[in-house]
Amino acid sequence: MRHTPALIMMPVAAFVCQVQAADYLSTAEAQAVLFPQASTFSRQEVVLTKEQLKAIKKASGVRQRKTMPPIWRAEREGEFLGWFYVDDVIGKHEFITYAAAISPEGEVRGIEIMSYRETHGDEVRNQQWRDQFVGKKVDAPFKLNEDIINISGATLSCRNITDGVKRLLVLQEMVLKE
Amino acid sequence: MITRRMKPLLGTYVEIAINAENEEQEQLLSTAFEAIEKIHRLLSFQARESELSQLNLAAGIALTMDPLSIRCLRLAFAMMKASRQYFNCTIAGSLVRRGVLPDHGFGNYLEAGNVDDIVISGKRVHLARPVLLVLDGIAKGYAVDHAIKILMAAGIRSGWVNAGGDIRAFGELRVPILLRQGGGAPVYAGDLQNAAVATSSARSELDARYQGLLVNTEGRPIDEGQWTVVARSAWRADALTKVAATAPRDEAEQLVARLGGTLVSKTSGIQAANGESAQIENLNQSQNGC
Repeated sequence: MRHTPALIMMPVAAFVCQVQAADYLSTAEAQAVLFPQASTFSRQEVVLTKEQLKAIKKASGVRQRKTMPPIWRAEREGEFLGWFYVDDVIGKHEFITYAAAISPEGEVRGIEIMSYRETHGDEVRNQQWRDQFVGKKVDAPFKLNEDIINISGATLSCRNITDGVKRLLVLQEMVLKE
Repeated sequence: MITRRMKPLLGTYVEIAINAENEEQEQLLSTAFEAIEKIHRLLSFQARESELSQLNLAAGIALTMDPLSIRCLRLAFAMMKASRQYFNCTIAGSLVRRGVLPDHGFGNYLEAGNVDDIVISGKRVHLARPVLLVLDGIAKGYAVDHAIKILMAAGIRSGWVNAGGDIRAFGELRVPILLRQGGGAPVYAGDLQNAAVATSSARSELDARYQGLLVNTEGRPIDEGQWTVVARSAWRADALTKVAATAPRDEAEQLVARLGGTLVSKTSGIQAANGESAQIENLNQSQNGC
């Protein structure tokens, strides 16, 4: 018999929920992923003036919201490896916290999504999804209704991340250049 | 335990989740992301230095291409042929002319071509006429399949990859899928198990938040709508959404089925979300089927 690919339907109970969120990496985890060779991360205090915020917007085309952006300096036994940034971007449906690693020369070394939230009104409760983990060697099954975001639909563009990184590059050039 | 990561790739957000038994297996997430990044580098139309762009710029001269590029081109070629060109990857010219895709200095080009314009011979490829290829209609799904192939070969038994809504689940996991219609709230559409789902949308106006524009086989924009297809592999589900979008409405469902997919929704979305009408078969699929 020829097997037809299938979406498996099952009864679901719906309830209303505002946000779906998936947390991928903590700050420390993102640091380890993006700068695996680093031994220390020291917080770099940066306070942006109104003029600097304006200049960043002008040069990058994107508004810099935070006056005190969270930035860390990554080092390996005194050797400067690069800057580690935690930043947020807001899209039509999604609110994303991401981490970016940028070399001292202003080269993007890597980007990791730390947290992804989608806002909408409908949600599902799916007992069978939960049941499949019962008695199995799964230490951390999903917190159902909170962090499964497998949504098929018109593809969301990741342009707001691209714009966000552009903004960080301008910020680095402006206030962190050594 | 389930380990997941997400990165901005392929112009969208890519999530990889695996049921990893140890830390060594967790490292495979990076390997899988690197594989997707490689496909992105090879097959991006937007990047001038990609192999695809080099082929589009080669003015008919044959190029030796990476086996990953060749495989994707072969799949695209086969799907063009089998779908009577309702799937057509030679329509990039019409998208460049409309400003949807960048002009890398192509000079004169045709807005759309046909399957005979793509000539693959071993590892070498050339274009018989000055058409421009774009693999956006298939490459996201292809990247998903490739990542899963690598994960399975390395011993990962279950997980999923979601590239901006092109989702494939493998192994014993049943992964709940939500469908978003236009700007509306996503609704539960069913669970995915050893299968892939993809959705394509056509909009009446270009929207910076979403990518691209769906055009028909002659390169003309098609009517607004949304199409979701389930198939064994993600490349096929991805490509078949374009077949569903461009084929005559009364033929689409049958054509998609003949080509190995199931059309889940047409314009108004999935009937199954709120009723009994779409009790789709509960069957496991072969894991490596393409």
